Amino acid sequence: MPAYHSSFNEVTDLRSVGGMAFLPVKTRVRGPASIADPNEEDIIDEALNLFRANVLFRNFEIKGDADRVLIYLILFITECLGKLTRNPSQREAEKILGTMALGNFAIPGDATFPLNALYPSASSKMDADLLRQYLSQLRQEMAVRLPARIYENDKPGKWWMCFQKRKFMNKSL
Amino acid sequence: MSRLAPVVIDNGTGFTKMGFAGNNDPSFIQPTVIATRDGGASSSAPSVPSKPSFLNSSSSSNIASKRGIEDLDFYIGDEAVANSKTYALNYPIRHGQIENWDHMERYWEQSIFKYLRCEPEDHSFLLTEPPLNPPENRENTAEIMFESFNVQGLYIAVQAVLALAASWTSSKVSEQTLTGTVIDSGDGVTHVIPVAEGYVIGSSIKSVPIAGRDLTSFVQNLLRERGENMIPAEDSLTVAQRIKEQYSYVCPDIVKEFKKYDQEGEKYFKKYEGVHSVTGKPYTVDVGFERFLAPEIFFNPEIASSDYLTPLPEVVDNVVQTSPIDVRRGLYKNIVLSGGSTMFENFGKRLQRDIKRIADTRIKRSEVLSGGKMQSTPMEVNVISHKKQRYAVWFGGSLLASTGEFHSYCHTKAEYDEVGPSIARHNRVFGTLG
Repeated sequence: MPAYHSSFNEVTDLRSVGGMAFLPVKTRVRGPASIADPNEEDIIDEALNLFRANVLFRNFEIKGDADRVLIYLILFITECLGKLTRNPSQREAEKILGTMALGNFAIPGDATFPLNALYPSASSKMDADLLRQYLSQLRQEMAVRLPARIYENDKPGKWWMCFQKRKFMNKSL
Repeated sequence: MSRLAPVVIDNGTGFTKMGFAGNNDPSFIQPTVIATRDGGASSSAPSVPSKPSFLNSSSSSNIASKRGIEDLDFYIGDEAVANSKTYALNYPIRHGQIENWDHMERYWEQSIFKYLRCEPEDHSFLLTEPPLNPPENRENTAEIMFESFNVQGLYIAVQAVLALAASWTSSKVSEQTLTGTVIDSGDGVTHVIPVAEGYVIGSSIKSVPIAGRDLTSFVQNLLRERGENMIPAEDSLTVAQRIKEQYSYVCPDIVKEFKKYDQEGEKYFKKYEGVHSVTGKPYTVDVGFERFLAPEIFFNPEIASSDYLTPLPEVVDNVVQTSPIDVRRGLYKNIVLSGGSTMFENFGKRLQRDIKRIADTRIKRSEVLSGGKMQSTPMEVNVISHKKQRYAVWFGGSLLASTGEFHSYCHTKAEYDEVGPSIARHNRVFGTLG
C-alpha cells in the first residue's frame, strides 16, 4: 500500500495553474478559491488527515493536480510544526503561523521552489499572480486550522510534534 | 524394546529451542551464544570445519590438555550472556548456518549434558537445518553427533517443512499437506520458502531484510524522535523491544488508525512502566503510534528504510509466481507463519488480504486480456496462524519425532559406522538418494 492520494483527483472540472488544481476551500480568507460546502471535508482537512501517514513516505506518485496541492500543504504543515518547537501558547502560535503564511514564499517556477521537477511553472505573469494568491489563501487558512487541530492544554500536542523531523519525499519548503 | 523420547533441538541464529519429542513446548529456549575464555583461540582455528574434540585423542587435544582445561571453561545461552563481562561471546550460527563447528560442538555438549541432562547413547536426535543447507554441513553435523556424542540415531529435518507440519494443529487446516508457503521471520532475517510435497523449491526462496531487530530499532527511533526522555539511554533498546512485543499490532489502514487515536485516545494510547536498571527508579513512557507503525514496515518498508522497498505481500506473491505452475494454487492456499516476528495481532489477516488483492488483480487482468473468453476460478488465499507459531519449527519437530515411524527414518550409529558421514546426504522420508 503506497502513500495516500487526494480524493479530489477525481474532480476534473477545475481550473489548474502550475499543475495545481484550484479546489474549493472552507475559508474566510479572501482569494481566488471558491467557497466549499461547510459540511464537507476540503483539501485542508484532507491534508491534515493524511499528513501523519504520508509524511512517513519518501516516494509519492502524482496522480492528479489535486495531489500537487496535497504535497504542497503537507510540506507546509511540516514547516509550520518546525516553528512550534518552542511550545508557544495557542494564541502565539496562531500569530507566528499567520505571519509565516503571509511572508515571502516561492511558487512553482521560482528558482527557490524545491519541487520544480514535479510542478510545471505558470505559463504567464497573470497566472503566476493568481497562483500566488491561491497559495497564500491556502497557507493562511492552514495557519488557522492547524493550531486548532493540534493544540492540547495550550501546548502543541506531542503526538503531532513527533512528526516534525520527518521529511515527506525528502523535501522541505 | 522400549525407546526413550527423541531429543529435538532447533538451533536458530538468535535462539536455540530444545526439548523432548512429544512435548508441546521446548524445555529450554535460550540465545545461541557461547562464552569462551580465549577470544583469540577461535580466530586462530582453521576456517575449514575442524573438530578438535575432547573425545578425540588427536595431537591438538594433547596440547590442550597440557595447557590446562580451558576447553571446558565456557558457558552457553543465558549463562553466557550473564558472563559476558569476563568471557568473549561467540555466535556460532550466522544467517541460519553453522559457521564455527568447534563452538557448535561445545554448545551441543552443554545443551545435552548440562541442560537436557540425557545420555545421547539412549536417544535419537532430531536436528534442524535451514533450506539450501550444503550437504557438507549436514555431514559435519552427523560426524559430530555420531563420533563425539555417540547418539543412537540422527535425523536432520528442514525447518520450513517442520513449520508446515506444525500448522496441522490449527483448526483452519482441513487436510494435512506438506505443500505450502512458509513465512519464517525471526530476529535477523525473514524468509519466504515455497514447499511442494515436502520438497523445498530452492530456486524460488526469497529473503526479506526486515525482521525483529529492524522493528525494534524503528520503535527506538520513533521514541527518540518524539523525545521520550524518561527512558534511560542504556535501556532504550530493551524498552523498545518490550514495547514492540507487548503493544504492537497490525492495523488495516494507517490513516483510519490515526483517526481512532485522535478520537478515542484513552483507549489506544498506552503507558509503559519500566524500572531504571541502575538506579532502580521507576519511570513511565507513553506508547502511541509505534503500536501499529512498527509491524507496518513489513507492509510498507519505505517508512523505515530507503533501500529496500518491496512489501512482504508482494514478495510472497513473487515467490509463488516463480514456482512451478501446477503447485501455485496449493502454495496460495496454505501460507504458514513461523517465528517470533509473525506473532503480531492481525498479521495473518492483513497479509491474507493484501496477497488476495494482488492475486485477484492479476486474474482480473488476464480475464480482460483474453477478451472475456477465459474465466478462472477465484484464487483461494489462506494465511494460517496458530498457537505454536513462535516455536513452530521446534513443535513440528516434536510432532514428527513422536510418530511411530520416526525411528525408521533415523540414521543409526551402526549405519553410520558402515557408510560414513555421507549417509547424512540421504533422507529416508523421501526414499531416493538425494
